[in-house]
Amino acid sequence: MDAVPPLRLRPGAWQRLRRGLFASRVDGLISIVLIGFLLAAALGLAKWALFQAQWAVISANSTLFAVGRYPLEQQWRLWLLTTLLALATGLSWGLLRAFPRSGPPVTLWPRNDRWAVAILVVLAIWRPMALQLALPIQMRWWAITGLLLLARWAAGRWGQAIPQVSRRLVPLIWPLLYLVGMVLISGGLGLVQVAPSEWGGLLLTLLMSSFAILLCFPLGVLLALGRRSELPLLRWGSVLYIEFIRGAPLITLLFLGQNILGFLLPGGMAPDRVWRAAWVLTFFAAAYVAEAVRSGLSAVPAGQLEAARSLGLPLPLALIHVVLPQALRVALPATVGQFITLLQDTTLLSLIGLLDLLGTARTVMANPEFLGKNAEVYLVLAVLFWCCCAALGLGSRALEIRLNPQAQPSR
Amino acid sequence: MTPSPAVMIEARGVEKWYPNGFHALRGVDLSVEQGEVVVIMGPSGSGKSTFLRTFNGLEDFQKGSITVDGITLSDDLRHIDAIRREVGMVFQQFNLFPHLTVLDNLTLAPVLVRKLAKAEVQRRALELLERVGIAEQAHKYPGQLSGGQQQRVAIARSLCMEPRIMLFDEPTSALDPEMVLEVLEVMQGLARDGMTMVVVTHEVRFARQVADRVVLMDDGEVVEMAPPERFFSNPQHPRSRQFLSQIS
Repeated sequence: MDAVPPLRLRPGAWQRLRRGLFASRVDGLISIVLIGFLLAAALGLAKWALFQAQWAVISANSTLFAVGRYPLEQQWRLWLLTTLLALATGLSWGLLRAFPRSGPPVTLWPRNDRWAVAILVVLAIWRPMALQLALPIQMRWWAITGLLLLARWAAGRWGQAIPQVSRRLVPLIWPLLYLVGMVLISGGLGLVQVAPSEWGGLLLTLLMSSFAILLCFPLGVLLALGRRSELPLLRWGSVLYIEFIRGAPLITLLFLGQNILGFLLPGGMAPDRVWRAAWVLTFFAAAYVAEAVRSGLSAVPAGQLEAARSLGLPLPLALIHVVLPQALRVALPATVGQFITLLQDTTLLSLIGLLDLLGTARTVMANPEFLGKNAEVYLVLAVLFWCCCAALGLGSRALEIRLNPQAQPSR
Repeated sequence: MTPSPAVMIEARGVEKWYPNGFHALRGVDLSVEQGEVVVIMGPSGSGKSTFLRTFNGLEDFQKGSITVDGITLSDDLRHIDAIRREVGMVFQQFNLFPHLTVLDNLTLAPVLVRKLAKAEVQRRALELLERVGIAEQAHKYPGQLSGGQQQRVAIARSLCMEPRIMLFDEPTSALDPEMVLEVLEVMQGLARDGMTMVVVTHEVRFARQVADRVVLMDDGEVVEMAPPERFFSNPQHPRSRQFLSQIS
């Protein structure tokens, strides 16, 4: 058994706290006032959440918030997708731990991971109960969480035994899973079609944002490269595009997209309203991602491209193998910032009549049965969005550390 | 009479204007034979680096012609890449790829451009690292090496493409004094092995000991071209004399 380090405050923690908060009389006064405010606010929120708030509005509509009006008899497809996602997550997580890029030797459950597991288990047990889901549904959540942890454990335990060739294929399960997910959600290949107008809630929000995030990234990289190209047509085209998009509010573009795509494309060719919005989101975010990537490109010294070219690498190879790996690492935090903005911008879809999380919430609040329960609904929305954004942020942070070969002393 | 060796670089009447109108090269001629070591010296801003960089197309020029290893430089990108495969270049700022290990820095181009098997290239790369004296650093990243070590890796990286010509653009100017010698020694070894080299440098001792010819450039022109012993002991042109008095 590996020794678990005892949990204790580091020596000096109390002194540091005292020095930080009560260094002088004025400091102490400010600290006391601020802590008082914070405590009062937290107490007020807790009192409201525990005694006054009526959470029935959430538990009664939990399916609506999750998937909108997705047909009940087809929801097994979403459960299947969730299960697959949990397995893929567990597998990738375990493999990342089995092959640390650098740092201390492998441990099966590092401290951060134990925290993550604890949070996952608590959420898996408490959340379905709090939502007063039927027992079979609660058990499904337990099973899915169990599968995730099982995959995590197995991959961490035996990951190193997987031959390198097949391990290289593991990241490919994600794009594959995305395609499988698309089929599962929308139907086809023998499955009943579920029209996009029936998607809603968290499902629609996550689908729209993941679609836009995945596509706006390569598009943004191409635009950034175009903006720095020596070919005038390419350069001015990229500049024009980026500046036009950045000069218009997203909501305008969304309305424009809903109306204009119908005129531009012959009848029936125009994508469905939901997909129109998804493409507008993609094109919108691409312009901002392009600017983030451009800042990364500027951070790579010109000598890098010169060295690569003078070794005989043609421009595309020099960009792919030398310039972009360095530029994208620099641009990563700003790019993920754009992704987070994009995720939050999906709430604008409710203004063009789509039932994303916010749209669903508005229909729920308009229901006479739940009149005046706005606070409960908005609080839950805020927490949901916060969770998604925090996950993106954590992921980006982990990626940043992993992509950094070592602490490079800057020249 | 021995047959005259092949001409590796032939530059005739090269003129270059920068976009801002600055006339950087004013009709420069130079011819470098196989196995020759030519050192280009001159005050900063004299156009010596610019001239060197025209040989592998890092700088363009408006008039004149340059032929490298039998290939004439033109706008045709295939020609430029063909020349760059045969011409190695070492930079003042090393320009190693910081996201790749030392070994990967060496193998990247041979694998991607020459399409050689990775294992074979790695074997040659390790030999080269041995030759420049840093085989034990092969799996480190450039940022973990000293300046002198980095520059030696940069030389090995160029050699890994098995070039027929090596260009050096002030290879020791960014180094701490105690690291200059280890880099110059590697270059001296290269010259001994018969590599054709054009070196822009301020290292008088290297020029004296290794160069076959020294070229002095000033104001975008070749002022004087002579074997080192004559150049350093008996310079003909007043601007050469002025330059030599400034650096010694």
